[in-house]
Amino acid sequence: MIATFNRVAMFTLIKREMVRSLKIINQVIWPPIITTLLYVTIFGLALGTRIKSVQGVSYAEFLIPGLIMLQVIDSSYAECSSSVFQGRFMNSIQEMLIAPMSAAEMVFGYIFGSVARALLIANIIMALGYFFVHTLPSNWVLYFGTMIAVSILFSALGIIFGLMAEKFDHLAVLTTFAITPLVFVGGVFTAASQLPAQIRNWELVNPMFYTVDAFRYSYTAQSYLPLWLSLSVICGLMLLALGIALRMAHVGYKLRT
Amino acid sequence: MIHGTDGRTPAIELSHIVKRYADFTAVDDISLRVDAGDFFGFLGPNGAGKTTTINAIVGLARLTAGSIKVFGHDTVSDWRAARRLVGLAPQEYNFDRYLSIRDILIYQAGYFGLKPREVAARADLLLERFGLASKAKQDYMKLSGGMKRRLTLARALIHSPKLLILDEPTAGVDVELRLELWDLLRELNGDGMTVFLTTHYLEEAEALCRNIGIIRAGKLVALESTRALLEREGKRLQDVFLELTRS
Repeated sequence: MIATFNRVAMFTLIKREMVRSLKIINQVIWPPIITTLLYVTIFGLALGTRIKSVQGVSYAEFLIPGLIMLQVIDSSYAECSSSVFQGRFMNSIQEMLIAPMSAAEMVFGYIFGSVARALLIANIIMALGYFFVHTLPSNWVLYFGTMIAVSILFSALGIIFGLMAEKFDHLAVLTTFAITPLVFVGGVFTAASQLPAQIRNWELVNPMFYTVDAFRYSYTAQSYLPLWLSLSVICGLMLLALGIALRMAHVGYKLRT
Repeated sequence: MIHGTDGRTPAIELSHIVKRYADFTAVDDISLRVDAGDFFGFLGPNGAGKTTTINAIVGLARLTAGSIKVFGHDTVSDWRAARRLVGLAPQEYNFDRYLSIRDILIYQAGYFGLKPREVAARADLLLERFGLASKAKQDYMKLSGGMKRRLTLARALIHSPKLLILDEPTAGVDVELRLELWDLLRELNGDGMTVFLTTHYLEEAEALCRNIGIIRAGKLVALESTRALLEREGKRLQDVFLELTRS
């Protein structure tokens, strides 16, 4: 019997999202791992040897947490945006809409399915980082906590854009014009202290900078900004995106006529 | 309102429902009751408002005005209980492309709050009953049109609903399968399931339905038993339909 929360429905959707990821493993799991390996090889192990140290660690060690965050952000957004949009496009989302399943159960089902995919990718990269660069997180609570919060944030953004999009092309707008450029200049490859002062100030309005800076702390125990500030920004943005996604699902935005 | 007069809770109760899209009124003040156990035909030309009405019953469309009850449960204030009782077989094939045929049933039941171990046996039974057992592990896209239609029905039945809503269930299927589906629907109705059917095949409605509602331009223009409708006009259902739906 269903009481006030249809837990079975939410877990069914989480499982469905994981099945989906594994069915398209060559599109969604291997590419980020191979790309990361290439970044580590070329930037970390080849070019990086010319850099003595960054934030007190080798460049390759500095790079690993940034690359993990890059893939967590990318895969979380891609998972939810494409799954929600595809469900709308193929109308298969109606299977959930006609069921006794609330907006919250749907939203959290999509999000936790997406977080599971992000954790899988991130932990494979973490293991590769240990194998190739001999680096591991020093603060596991911060490692998982930051990763999950960031994954929820970008999964919620994925749901928002998956609901708003009218065609697949629209899903790429956020990735192409915001996420990718902001992540790349957000401290994945360079420390903020290495940037010119004017650009460094701009980083403070780049939300990706806070995610990378906080997550890197779980590896290096160092950050450019106070940890509490970065975590506050991440949690604030996460709650905002989650609230919007829940509201859109609750009113049935582009789901119910 | 001619149905639901026996004191039992009606399977469907539409009270003055209105659905507007901008300045277009798709459903215009429809009230009707469908008895529990009835086989009800909801007929009308293309664009008359049949699918919009179905969408309102199952929660895919939000009403502009009016209310809907399913076995006494309001579809807005008591939506979980109402949806639990309804199985929908839509006209289009909207299966989850990442799941096998058996999993399509198992996952659908999951969305209805039923765990896999609770429905595994029923899923196998339905696959057997619908001639899909040998295809259980296949992708649905490899099925023929007729098999997809059967899968649509099996999915609608997986959570053992009391009300089955069928939107053009025999559209595009051959005569043999159509007759097979008719037998199946009669059997389900005979077992006590309420069936709400839309179809363009008037002989289908005549053969299956005990009561019929006819809708034109969003308004209900007839609501009678099939027998009374035919006796009153003294014609075939097709003639009655054309007379009522021609503007």
